[in-house]
Amino acid sequence: MKPLFRPLAVGALVAAAFAAGPALAAKDVTFAVASTFTTTDPYDANDTLSQAMAKSFYEGLFGFDKDMKLIPVLAESYDVSKDGLVYTIKLKKGVKFHDGTDFKADAVKASFDRVTNPDNKLKRYALYSNIARTDVVDDATARITLKTPFSAFINNLAHPSGVIISPAALKQYGNKDIAFHPVGTGPFKFVEWKATDYLKVARFDGYWKKGYPKVDGITWKPVIDSNSRAAVMQTGEAQFTYPVPYEMAETLKAKPELDIVAAPSIIVRYLSMNTQQKPFDNPKVRQAINYAINKEAVAKVAFGGYATPADAIVPEGVEFSVKTGVWPYDVAKAKALLAEAGYPNGFETELWSAYNHTIAQKVTQVLQQQLQQVGIKTKITLLEAGQRVEKVESWQDPATAPVRLYYVGWSSSTGEADWALRPLLYSESWPPKLFNTAYYKSERVDGDIRNALLTTDKAEKAKLYKDAQETIYKDAPWAPLVTEKLLSANNKKLSGVYTMPDGSFNFTDVDLK
Amino acid sequence: MRTPWSEFWRKFRKQHVALAAGGFVLVLVVLAVLAPYVVPFDAENFFDYDTLNSPPSAKHWFGVDPLGRDIFSRLLMGSRISLTAGFVSVAFGAVIGTVLGLVAGYYEGWWDRAIMRLCDVLFAFPGILLAIAIVAILGSGMANVIIAVSIFSIPTFARLVRGNTLALKHLTYVESARSIGASDTTIVLRHIFPGTISAVVVYFSMRIGTSIITAASLSFLGMGAQPPTPEWGAMLNEARSEMMTAPHVALFPAVAIFLTVLAFNLLGDGLRDALDPKIEQR
Repeated sequence: MKPLFRPLAVGALVAAAFAAGPALAAKDVTFAVASTFTTTDPYDANDTLSQAMAKSFYEGLFGFDKDMKLIPVLAESYDVSKDGLVYTIKLKKGVKFHDGTDFKADAVKASFDRVTNPDNKLKRYALYSNIARTDVVDDATARITLKTPFSAFINNLAHPSGVIISPAALKQYGNKDIAFHPVGTGPFKFVEWKATDYLKVARFDGYWKKGYPKVDGITWKPVIDSNSRAAVMQTGEAQFTYPVPYEMAETLKAKPELDIVAAPSIIVRYLSMNTQQKPFDNPKVRQAINYAINKEAVAKVAFGGYATPADAIVPEGVEFSVKTGVWPYDVAKAKALLAEAGYPNGFETELWSAYNHTIAQKVTQVLQQQLQQVGIKTKITLLEAGQRVEKVESWQDPATAPVRLYYVGWSSSTGEADWALRPLLYSESWPPKLFNTAYYKSERVDGDIRNALLTTDKAEKAKLYKDAQETIYKDAPWAPLVTEKLLSANNKKLSGVYTMPDGSFNFTDVDLK
Repeated sequence: MRTPWSEFWRKFRKQHVALAAGGFVLVLVVLAVLAPYVVPFDAENFFDYDTLNSPPSAKHWFGVDPLGRDIFSRLLMGSRISLTAGFVSVAFGAVIGTVLGLVAGYYEGWWDRAIMRLCDVLFAFPGILLAIAIVAILGSGMANVIIAVSIFSIPTFARLVRGNTLALKHLTYVESARSIGASDTTIVLRHIFPGTISAVVVYFSMRIGTSIITAASLSFLGMGAQPPTPEWGAMLNEARSEMMTAPHVALFPAVAIFLTVLAFNLLGDGLRDALDPKIEQR
């Protein structure tokens, strides 16, 4: 009997293995990204990428959908008091942290108490420093009281940094070590982080949204060299990558298994001019520079055409953005303005870039070529991250700030005009506080920004922000260059991953065929 | 009568490869000198945004780079920078190294130990690493790259000359000079130094190749020539991102570096064979 049964048994086993195979095969996806992660703690991250990655395991009270529309996530609903100071937030029930504890109002309190405590020295302190106190009303209700009325507050809560961390984990690991043991409510649990190699997360079975996540794990893989990033997509090692180098777009498009997506962004690239220093203290010089730059050429040469000339200070897609128009390209007018300002033969100056990647290298060289045409000779320096902090962002004394022409970009991750204007153009935002690298100061713009925050009336806010943007356009502390498009590539088997307008990702629906 | 020169030429003439390499170097030098007058386009300020990355054509012999500039013109102008950097840095290194080598070899003792240990320290670093360290201290820029390359050329010349000096100073003609009361300065300059020249010249020509590569490498890493300077290494760096789509942008500067360095090395080999009295003619 036995010999007869053995092949049968083996056959059954093989059949079983085949049947089980596809069902058991882990659906793991790999995302190739352009930089290493600075931290897993969104409250201590300045870079969009680390925050976007942290959305694997963390969620906020509010968030943005893939079109940058504000949606409640861990919150159910909210109320604002008449004076605009007290926000009462109803929380979702039945949500669990990865460590098994329940998500309740005390978690909201623990998370915001942490960031608002200056002793914790978290990089996102400024975004939340307006919170006076956070209270637990009951398990499912939290109350946040502000120091001053701030009508964009819910947008700040939706910012990718505003996540809820498990209070138990926070207690166990402490303020600094939580970055190595992130515990949130997100669809994936943190598994392992090897700084330069990868960061792995795995499916969280207790996730509150039924049926999600649809894959078993994500490997976040930093691939810094852009050609290598294109290569891992071609070999199938990764299923999604952002950003795709513009010069590789055509090559990748030719691959039948890949999709190339150019998504609109709210990332504005501009040239700031130090308005406190000669010759840029003269508005005519700043206008001349605006006239001298051919933004179409910048978009074409440096961004491979995947960018549009900037037509606004606050880019389209951010609430209260106003189209001020693309500054015309007119070399003759630029020369005339320079002559009027007393520089008929131009002058020499420094042109710094906040980044040292290929695109920045091209942008600065195109700018150099064009400024040369009106007699402005520039010396290019592509700053490394450390130099950027030292020479620009942390420079203490505005009077001696060495920055002149500065190529940089900004993505307003709150989706609202305040965070697109106040950090960059408000007179109290000069470095080292925030990023007003033009050292721009205008009573009128300051007033508009301040008043807009105090009012909850949308029409009034729109009016104030319009005035601010139009004033800035005329004063020209910047030469707005381009709004870039976000170029990502994904394997056709992968679905549900989107590059959001601020350069972060939405992968709630990620699935692999 | 056979002068040393005619003797040298007689031997060198027979080395066809070295002769060709020498000819190439000569052409390159002439082109570099004349470059500003013969380039078809302005290397830095001509740009055409409509022909980005276009391949070689009748108008643009070597094609157009990603910023719309003419690669042929940039290459020609770049030869000035690369040749100058190579020549000047080796010249500095050779002069300082020779002086140190003569002092160390002639006086020996304390001088010798101090100088040679210093050279050992410099030798302990891989060349490019040392150059990077020096540029990191001095700051980026072509002048600092030349200084860096000079410094790392010094120890090899010092060693070479010291060795020759040690051998020469025990020869009879030097001893007889000393015995008739010639001063140290006279002996070193009139009797020993000329004996080291042939070795220095050979090494000099070989070293130029290495120096051009090092200078180009530093520029490639962003530490040397700053944009829009058409330095060959910097051009390669700018071409890096287009390698897959427009290989000609990287090809021409790479070939230029390759041929130039090869020519200098072959020339050096030929010089060595011609100047070495031990190699007898068949």
